Amino acid sequence: MNKTSCRMGRMCGFLTIILFAALLSGCDKADSDTVTLRICNWEEYIDEGDWDEDEAIELDDGTRIIGQNSLVEDFEEWYFETYGVRVKVEYSTFGTNEELYNQITIGDVYDLVCPSEYMIMKMMREGMLEPYSEDFSDAGKAGNYYSKGVSPYIRGVFDNLSINGERLDKYAAGYMWGTLGIVYNPDEITDEEAKHWNILLNKDYYRRITIKDSVRDAYFAAIAIDYFDEITDPVIKNSPDYNRRLSEMLNRTDPDTVKEVEEILIRAKDNVYSFETDSGKADMVTGKVIANEQWSGDAVYTLDQAEEDGFMLRYSAPEEGTNLWFDGWVMLKAGISEDAAKKQAAEAFVNFLSRPENAVRNMYYIGYTSVISGGDSDVIFDYINYNYAAEDEEDAVGYDDIGYFFEDDSEDANEKYTVITTKDQTKRQLYAQYPPKSVVDRSVVMACFDDESNERINRSWTNVRCFDLKKLFGRK
Amino acid sequence: MKTSFFDRRQLAIPYFIYLVLFVVMPLLVVLYYGVTDGEGHLSFYNFTAFFTNSKTMGTLVYSLIIAVTVTLICLVLAYPVAYILAKGQYARKHSFLMVFVLPMWINFTLRITALKEILTLLEGNLAYHPFMNTVICMVYDFLPFMVMPLFNALTKLDKSMIEAGHDLGATFWQVLLRVILPLSIPGIISGVTMVFLPAMTNYVVLDMVYNSTYIMGSLIGSYFNSYDWNNGSIISAILLMLIGFFTIFTDKIISGKEDKA
Repeated sequence: MNKTSCRMGRMCGFLTIILFAALLSGCDKADSDTVTLRICNWEEYIDEGDWDEDEAIELDDGTRIIGQNSLVEDFEEWYFETYGVRVKVEYSTFGTNEELYNQITIGDVYDLVCPSEYMIMKMMREGMLEPYSEDFSDAGKAGNYYSKGVSPYIRGVFDNLSINGERLDKYAAGYMWGTLGIVYNPDEITDEEAKHWNILLNKDYYRRITIKDSVRDAYFAAIAIDYFDEITDPVIKNSPDYNRRLSEMLNRTDPDTVKEVEEILIRAKDNVYSFETDSGKADMVTGKVIANEQWSGDAVYTLDQAEEDGFMLRYSAPEEGTNLWFDGWVMLKAGISEDAAKKQAAEAFVNFLSRPENAVRNMYYIGYTSVISGGDSDVIFDYINYNYAAEDEEDAVGYDDIGYFFEDDSEDANEKYTVITTKDQTKRQLYAQYPPKSVVDRSVVMACFDDESNERINRSWTNVRCFDLKKLFGRK
Repeated sequence: MKTSFFDRRQLAIPYFIYLVLFVVMPLLVVLYYGVTDGEGHLSFYNFTAFFTNSKTMGTLVYSLIIAVTVTLICLVLAYPVAYILAKGQYARKHSFLMVFVLPMWINFTLRITALKEILTLLEGNLAYHPFMNTVICMVYDFLPFMVMPLFNALTKLDKSMIEAGHDLGATFWQVLLRVILPLSIPGIISGVTMVFLPAMTNYVVLDMVYNSTYIMGSLIGSYFNSYDWNNGSIISAILLMLIGFFTIFTDKIISGKEDKA
């Protein structure tokens, strides 16, 4: 059966599963020419097709994009047409990075998975990942849509990340990316207030703001509050290596910082509506809460939903700094197990998703922002215009700070990639999907902490969430 | 005679296999993780750490407070209903019982979502009263589990016992406290066991009503989320032991009662 090496202790745990799998496997024999590709992705994180005819996206240059079948089915068909080999995708989903990691460690075998940046780094550190082939990064080769189309900005982010001296882009190809910020209701909260993370502690909004029920997201917001003075110090703000210093600050995990963060989070817990896992979006739309810490992709979804109900929410990536996150495709050693045909299919899948038209299908379907900027193709920028171009010229403004995403030299690119849009959109979906350079300049990737720091932070998180016995005896 | 005995034993084999595969084996795995550290060495550090940390003990206390409150309210609400249904002269008492059990046919997250909306209407902002809302939702969720065993116990109760009590001059309260209640204790105990444990661990309810304080279930989940299987396992084991003691203790009461009878 599977040749996964696993620790003895875990053996007995899934002995039962193996027993059953052995019983069942007799009837599951695909013919030998077919490559089976086991993919595990986030829930609702790919175009599943079935669009209505009137949902078709018609771009200015006449390109018409519509998802009739799911992208997975389209891939199987495309692969057979291009390479003459049948590939069968076994597609499954996961809910959190931790869940995926736990599944893999107890013996589930996948070939290609799509975790977030810190989990990619953790998997790299633990030697679980299969590197991409040299061929994959050859932008000159037809069919290498990822290398051709990935945004130079995202490429730069990948270049700056490494684990044990190995660069991230050797093992990972980006999928979706974004920022961490605050969705808010402008009728209740001013733009100015929403620009700062300390809105979570604001007593005026007692029990009316939610925060994410995730250690890392809560930690990020709290540490930005903790280091407010240092972050906003003009000396640091104007220093040439501002982003590097910001990144160092917001990734601190020393005991003192963790303690301070814990105190801020305890205060936040007593002030916010709740720590939410998934209810925040709906509660924002129904008006139960007036602000919500949110990932940019989910923010777009929330804003879209509220718009359907006729009211306009906004999104802000706070001034102190925002967490730059991305999800990326990585191949697992245990799954690929040196099967060249399988590896080729896995890389082809990533390339297929990176075709600008397919990236647009995904973006339309799930609301997140693809790392693909299109390379020579203008499809991505046309799609932005298709979505956000102002219909009425009167209140139109130029959204002209996103050139960095499309070209290395952002000064020149800004002019070419200016979106003439409504003033409102510069604070709404467009801003969330394609943040201006000023926002990404203050964005930092939250690193994968070492085990010791992780333990410290998790213990502190438990302290925040657990009932304090001292409360019962009236002591403060 | 002998062959039929053999046949009956054979009938138990499917359940026995099920029990070993899906109850005993996972429990052994939990225990293994609970008493080892990450490297596979025997260690009781996690066990002692649970009892010496004021936060984890706080979680235990908080869960106990919730569970006791929910169980008591369920008992107080369910007992009269079960009694009336069991002893009343209704032609369709089982149909009436169905009405009480009916909510269980709908998935509980769906029911709580509906209840949440009602509570929001009444309270304005759910986040003001997280503890109260938790208790309300759990009572709503677990009430049928209390009604059913009580109904069964009270239906079996011999009516002549009550009549004898009255004939001997006991008042209504005396009959209730000294005849009916003692005789229905097995029903009370199975009802309590069925409500108490889920009330200590069902953190989905807390999540849904915006109670951000951990109970035992969420604490266990949080350890598994941070890959600390050892700590998560030992807490599950501790919880299991507590329930085990509780069951043995109550078993003793019941058998003691039966001996006296």
